[in-house]
Amino acid sequence: MDESVAGMCRRKHQDQWLRRRLLQRQLHDGAALRISALTLRLGLLQHHAAPTEHALQDYIGELQDELHAVLEELRDVAAKIYPPLLDEAGLGPALRELAAELRVPVAIVTCDDRFGPAAEGAAYFAVMRCFAARPAEPKPAKVVVRRENDALMLSIVGVGAAHAELVDDEAKPLGGTVEVEPETPLGASTIIARIPCE
Amino acid sequence: MRVALAEDGALFREGLLMLLRAAGHQVVCSAAGGDELVALLATAPADVAILDIRMPPEPDGGLITAERLRAAHPDLGLLFLSHYAESHYLMRILEIGTESIGYRLKEKVGSVEVLTDTLNRIGNGEIVIEPVLAKRLVERTRGDKKDVVSALSDREQEVLRLMAEGRSNNGIAGQLYITPKAVEKHVANIFVKLGLHTDTAAHHRRVLAVLTYLRSQRNES
Repeated sequence: MDESVAGMCRRKHQDQWLRRRLLQRQLHDGAALRISALTLRLGLLQHHAAPTEHALQDYIGELQDELHAVLEELRDVAAKIYPPLLDEAGLGPALRELAAELRVPVAIVTCDDRFGPAAEGAAYFAVMRCFAARPAEPKPAKVVVRRENDALMLSIVGVGAAHAELVDDEAKPLGGTVEVEPETPLGASTIIARIPCE
Repeated sequence: MRVALAEDGALFREGLLMLLRAAGHQVVCSAAGGDELVALLATAPADVAILDIRMPPEPDGGLITAERLRAAHPDLGLLFLSHYAESHYLMRILEIGTESIGYRLKEKVGSVEVLTDTLNRIGNGEIVIEPVLAKRLVERTRGDKKDVVSALSDREQEVLRLMAEGRSNNGIAGQLYITPKAVEKHVANIFVKLGLHTDTAAHHRRVLAVLTYLRSQRNES
């Protein structure tokens, strides 16, 4: 591919990550906040309703529970668009939370460095797809994130070389590359991605 | 109770103001950001400050503001409200303080009873943890710990969850409609089964011991 065409393609994909992050923030600052505020107004209504109106009191409580369920669904959607914890706290906290949620026994080694929304998004979803594709009784794995000049280096140890393609899907559009170190008697196979970052 | 409030979403801030007043609390000041609240609290004493986590100064102004408030007014209780109940933030909050501090979901304080109970517990020096988060922590234990937790009786699991919410023995007794004496017995049994050795009478140390136990497998690195 021509150098300038490759650059344009990369920028297009970087913009897509920015858009995803923006959508997630819009959900938080817009719909979610409105619904939360609505639970407060229902609480006020409940307070003003006569204490003898048990059915009404209970009904308002049920509506508030229903709004909590709606917000839980919105949180689920937001996490799939761009995880808020990734946005706010970076790859370390976000990947630890992901491992806990998917109950994957994994050691996460990260630095406090931030890499920009595109590289972080790509690395996060690459790891998520690898975890999701693992067998039911997985062996312990290890994920390492570090910076090498202007690239985010992501190593995923012990998930099987066959998953390299999943990582490549996320890394390549940003101009990244993926290599596989096969399993040896000394260690499990490792997928190593190099993703250009901020 | 004298309450100070900082939240950048006007709709939520106004709603909370109305509910606080309806509950009989005195709102001494309200602000759209942390810096403003710190300035206001220099002249208007309060018992508890309610802070949105994600507000100015960006990105998590509530946490930075809380650190400044803890230093300036050590007796001021702190209640964090957020759209997300994340153990990452819980740990950061407990680094700011382990007494008179709370973390709850915004949509879960929408009744006079819950709001007042939360504020009273913080005013009494307790740690208050969002029940949704406490439940998730208990359910997400892994490996050996998962086996230990699932070997607890149903009642003991309930008590463990309420301990992770930061409830005192009397608080747990009130929630489960049993006597404080019975709670004491359950707590002692749970501590033996989990292999925890701690002074269970010291409230904040007990909560920290339980949370550390539930979370400890999640920080391998």
